[in-house]
Amino acid sequence: METNRKIIISDPTLRDGNHAVGHQLSSEKIALYCRAADNAGVPIVEVGHGNGLGASSLQLGEAKVSDQVALITARENLSKSKLGIHVIPGFATIERDLKPALDWGVDVIRVAAHCSEADICERHISFSRSQGVEVWGCLMMSHMLSPTLLLEQARKMESYGAEGIVFMDSAGHYLPDAVRHRVELLVDELSISVGFHAHNNLGLAIANSLAAAEAGASLLDGCARGFGAGAGNTQLEVLIAVLERLGYSTDIDLYKILDAADLAEQNIMKNMPTISSNSVVSGLSGVFSGFMKPVLRIATEFGVDPRDIYFELGKRNIVAGQEDIILEVAKDLTQHKGKRIK
Amino acid sequence: MKRHEMTRNDCLRILKSGRDKLLDPLRQTELVVIGGTGFVGTWIAEMVASLNDEYQFGIKLHLVSRSTEKFSSQAPHLAAREDIQLIKSDVRQLGKIPMNTDWVIHAAANPDVRTHASNPLDTASVIVEGTMSVVRTAERLGRLKKLLYLSSGLVCSSQDSSLSENAKGAPELGASFIYPNAKRFAETVCSAARVQSRIPVLVARPFSFIGPYQSLDTPWAQTTFLADALHGRPIRLLGDGQLKRSYLYGSDAAYWFLRILTTGPSGDVVNVGSQEDISLQDLAEIVAQNFEPSPEILLNTSPRNQGRTTLLIPDITHVHDEYGLSVLTPLNEAVKLTAQWHQMQKNCEKDIFSG
Repeated sequence: METNRKIIISDPTLRDGNHAVGHQLSSEKIALYCRAADNAGVPIVEVGHGNGLGASSLQLGEAKVSDQVALITARENLSKSKLGIHVIPGFATIERDLKPALDWGVDVIRVAAHCSEADICERHISFSRSQGVEVWGCLMMSHMLSPTLLLEQARKMESYGAEGIVFMDSAGHYLPDAVRHRVELLVDELSISVGFHAHNNLGLAIANSLAAAEAGASLLDGCARGFGAGAGNTQLEVLIAVLERLGYSTDIDLYKILDAADLAEQNIMKNMPTISSNSVVSGLSGVFSGFMKPVLRIATEFGVDPRDIYFELGKRNIVAGQEDIILEVAKDLTQHKGKRIK
Repeated sequence: MKRHEMTRNDCLRILKSGRDKLLDPLRQTELVVIGGTGFVGTWIAEMVASLNDEYQFGIKLHLVSRSTEKFSSQAPHLAAREDIQLIKSDVRQLGKIPMNTDWVIHAAANPDVRTHASNPLDTASVIVEGTMSVVRTAERLGRLKKLLYLSSGLVCSSQDSSLSENAKGAPELGASFIYPNAKRFAETVCSAARVQSRIPVLVARPFSFIGPYQSLDTPWAQTTFLADALHGRPIRLLGDGQLKRSYLYGSDAAYWFLRILTTGPSGDVVNVGSQEDISLQDLAEIVAQNFEPSPEILLNTSPRNQGRTTLLIPDITHVHDEYGLSVLTPLNEAVKLTAQWHQMQKNCEKDIFSG
């Protein structure tokens, strides 16, 4: 297959990967990976706390380095690659976080919201656009909306000034046909470009990313060795290899991105992302990958099966930020267990 | 030169060569512009001020708006005039319209696509309930000569290279298309008011405008390019820059609206815009030429879907043939004047901040 179509790659190894290490990436590791990604020609390198700019907190996990240190370090070590950030309105405010981030040299701002809440992005997208930087809208946990409703939310972001829409499979729940269907609809109905961000809970991150590319997506996310929340993201170096084989152009040097992935494995990752049994359940139940650690901890505390927690959370349509519900679910399960015993 | 001297010159340039005489029906009359403090309303106020000062028209102008304070700060030279009265009111609850009103222009609607997306119900309410409110008010105006409703060029669609007033295509359904659908329904309300209440009403369909008083905060191509250039940044085009648009300058638009209002027959529908189409890349180049140093133009900063573009070039044969109106400010000049005005405004802000 020869396509010659260009795919823009955005690499959130140093942002989504921060979830996998409790947001403990150091400035040395940020510098090291930025140099390698830059050398490989990765177009966009996303850096920051796992939940994005301004999210370091006791509740979500305190980052090892501040946004300022992380972004300035990244900027100093990127010459060709653009520096990207993930911004969730509420965690990040315009005055406290976005304005300084622009001063620190950010090129690409990806403003993200839960898939049904695009409205909260209006001010952040409009502001970013007014500052002359590239701005994308991201719809997280997108499997929770039908394609038609997802399009409505994407249209809102387009009207606010987003230059592209990335829909995110935050729970690693999609099958390729579902991805293809959504991309085709968005590409047909929007005048801006469409991107896709996968998680690998069901082992389909590469397949889903390819489905997105085939359906017309212009941007794909990928992390070195898939380093990201839960079961990890699309494995970047594999994605590049497969895209190259299929005739897509990414402007990324294959050997150098393979080297960058090796370097990341040796120097950055404490543990390689794997599809654990819990990840599979998380993907099946459609629960955010980032819930894995609190679910495991609380399951142990209450002596309940974490898989039962996941499926119950899935039934309740729980989204990121509602971690407190895990406790409630575990407690309910314990009580029901007690009743069953009686 | 000050900013208001520049806009005055723009109006006088349009009114010269005897064109002022074609507005004679406005002499010694009262004009109400509902939604009168936006881009169109401000330019109509500029034109009325010019007619009164330079040609002794004696028009009394009432600008009805929810945002009169904003108007007073943005155009103090107009707000302070004795022949211009500001009436703070929501279009849906009009209660203070002078009973001696001769002419009404209904321009109330927020054209900002961000508001349409976030508040579609409010968008529809202002347009539909607002138009109902305007026609109910018009029924009570014994001296009313004409009501001009400013609809939108988006109410129709066509596969042709330009949109005529008779194009049959309708906007898509759905919340994302609330603005053109509400405007379309409001046109129908105007038609019903003409049939049922004998209100002399006609419709103008504005397309894209350019000029002073247009906020650079709006996410349109011309405003984004000007904002980029004004801040010394490269002008970024998302696609290949071949998408075409056309723009009518503010003082031209104001003159057209007044001419259509005073001379158009009830029931007429008239496109208001320029037929001089231009690619966005060429527009960016014209904008860049008006700044020193000239900003870089970056193409394809984000890939753009080429298949999904709206046609926004009006066919203006009708307004040309029936009203004798044509574009008096060529696009190059329009961009130059707009760029100069915004540079003057920026310098003025700098002076304020530097004390």
